[in-house]
Amino acid sequence: MEHFLYFFTFQDSSIAFIVIGITLLGIGSAYVGTFSFLDKKALLGDAISHAVLPGICLGFLFAEEKNPIYIVGGAFIAGAMATFLSSWLNENTKLSEDTIIASILSIFFGFGIVLLTVIQKTGNPEMAGLNQFIFGNAIGILEEDLWVYGGLAVLIILTLTVFMKEFSLMVFNAEFGKAIGYPMGRIRLLFNVLMILSVIIGIQAIGVVLMAALLITPGAAARFWTDKLSVLLVLAGAFAVISGITGTYISYVIPQMPTGPWVVVSLSLLALISFLFAPKRGMLYRYFARKNYLRKTQNEHILKSIFKAMEEGKSGLTIEEIYQLYPEQKKQSLKSIKSLSKSNHLVINQNIIYLSSTGLTEAKRVVRLHRLWESYLNEYMNIAPDHVHESAEKLEHLLTPELEALLESRLNYPKLDPHQENIPRDHD
Amino acid sequence: MIKQVDNPILEIHDLTVSYEQSPVLWNVDLSLPAGKLIGILGPNGAGKSTLIKAIMGLVDHSSGYVKIFDKNLSEVRSRISYVPQRESVDWNFPTSVLDVVTMGTYGKLGIFRRPGKNEKSLALASLEKVGMSAFAKRQISELSGGQQQRVFIARALAQEADLYLMDEPFAGVDMATENAIFELLQEMAKAGKTVIVVHHDIHSAMKYFDWMIMLNLHLVASGPKDDVVTEELLRKTYGGKLNLLTKVSEIIRRKDFNPLKN
Repeated sequence: MEHFLYFFTFQDSSIAFIVIGITLLGIGSAYVGTFSFLDKKALLGDAISHAVLPGICLGFLFAEEKNPIYIVGGAFIAGAMATFLSSWLNENTKLSEDTIIASILSIFFGFGIVLLTVIQKTGNPEMAGLNQFIFGNAIGILEEDLWVYGGLAVLIILTLTVFMKEFSLMVFNAEFGKAIGYPMGRIRLLFNVLMILSVIIGIQAIGVVLMAALLITPGAAARFWTDKLSVLLVLAGAFAVISGITGTYISYVIPQMPTGPWVVVSLSLLALISFLFAPKRGMLYRYFARKNYLRKTQNEHILKSIFKAMEEGKSGLTIEEIYQLYPEQKKQSLKSIKSLSKSNHLVINQNIIYLSSTGLTEAKRVVRLHRLWESYLNEYMNIAPDHVHESAEKLEHLLTPELEALLESRLNYPKLDPHQENIPRDHD
Repeated sequence: MIKQVDNPILEIHDLTVSYEQSPVLWNVDLSLPAGKLIGILGPNGAGKSTLIKAIMGLVDHSSGYVKIFDKNLSEVRSRISYVPQRESVDWNFPTSVLDVVTMGTYGKLGIFRRPGKNEKSLALASLEKVGMSAFAKRQISELSGGQQQRVFIARALAQEADLYLMDEPFAGVDMATENAIFELLQEMAKAGKTVIVVHHDIHSAMKYFDWMIMLNLHLVASGPKDDVVTEELLRKTYGGKLNLLTKVSEIIRRKDFNPLKN
């Protein structure tokens, strides 16, 4: 708790600096990453983030110290080479895109590890910090480095905001952009530059291995919550910032703890929450939507079976008779009967279940839809009368009032269905 | 039967287009009059879409040239509107109907500048013309196939062009919508616009087009509907691919270099 207060009240100005840096970095990379996620180019970000490692090492070898300018420069050149190489190979060979990405990622990263080992052998005392580039350490970032990374993050955010319209066009319909005379090739190039830069700004805080997660996961998680691009970007930014700060805090509390893995852990948690609980797309929502639908289906089946019993001259059904009709769904049938009698669709008197007047109207509607659909299948799609029941059994729960009206007028308000059964209407 | 016209709005001179170096369109040479509703017809794989993409400069020419309004494409781009195939984009992209239609104004707007009030109202007016105003605020992922197509046509209308090139705008569209769109296109032609449409249903083509281009890897016919829709030309267009032409394409494809490039 002491740590927590000390960290989040920003009494230490270097902590405040790091938090600002992580915030900018999170927004920048989530912003770029969301576009590349929508563009279905998520893997390219992964390849770039691994591919910058040899560039970092070469930058270090040239400067002989952890100079941010050399390191950013080296990383940028390596990232640009990887990006260029992957699109060149894509255009000029018959290799598939995933093969190209996987090869580039492993070749560049392997070369980077070789260089890292070479540097370790030189015994340069500055070298200690270099390992941090693999898994990241936000707390270890110096103030002068923060200016470079923060400045680049601001540049990325501004460029993306200015060219929002062009980048959206690139992702949604690049061919149309080309047709109206936009330089789509150069817009794509600019986007790739931003992508490489957004990887670079994260290498010290998050690390090359896990930077791809900060690019892609925020957008992918935010996509569960919204269909609007503006909301998507804001939400993705927020997810990235929350997990960035969480990771930094843990690195602060536990010495020697790398930041990257904790950023990824908290991002994954946010993604899992989105996956489970987001409205409409989340698993939970879809589970309940399905359950509700099944409940409605069984309710309608019970109303329908009592109506059919009435057609045969009975006045109602006992609960045992209903169980016999749906032997597989005894529990659900009992629940349905309870809720239907609560909503005044059913009346229960001396163990016999009757339809109330609202229940009768509803039952007629379901039977009517069932029989109208059977008539439609028979008449318009030439399906034999003994083949139409299965489909109608499902469609009776789905057809909307508009479709009902359309069916009625197409079939010219028929009296009988293909099985010569009466099609019930409210006024009869 | 290839009818050339004076003062053509579009002139295609000896155009050959190749994909991965094997030709998919051979030596197309035609000229088209202004103010007409023009259909491009032919079987699957005949090169209909390729012809439109070549006119728009979206695929490279192996040889030949295209002149529009007697000028090069880059000089007259703002007067041309292009409707790509509906399937060519991801309709799950998180954006609204109005935003997609507003893209039609991007050409005149240029890079950097953002669409403002004028652009929005132009987009809304275009949506109105295709009967989709009620959907302006909807997300595009909620649209049916026919509605997506109408959104694309509205985007083309928002370009306020003189020449319209539409790639299969009736794919996946119901009968009523098809008729409504055709009537809209006829009105545009009456107002002096030229509308070129890739289409494959010969029956509705006969009903609506003024002029027809018939393709089957090469140009079979181009001329007023009544002159070109003959039994012989239809047989040439739809009666299977030219065996020899396909075999030559295959030989070229297997070469390590492009023998057609100068």
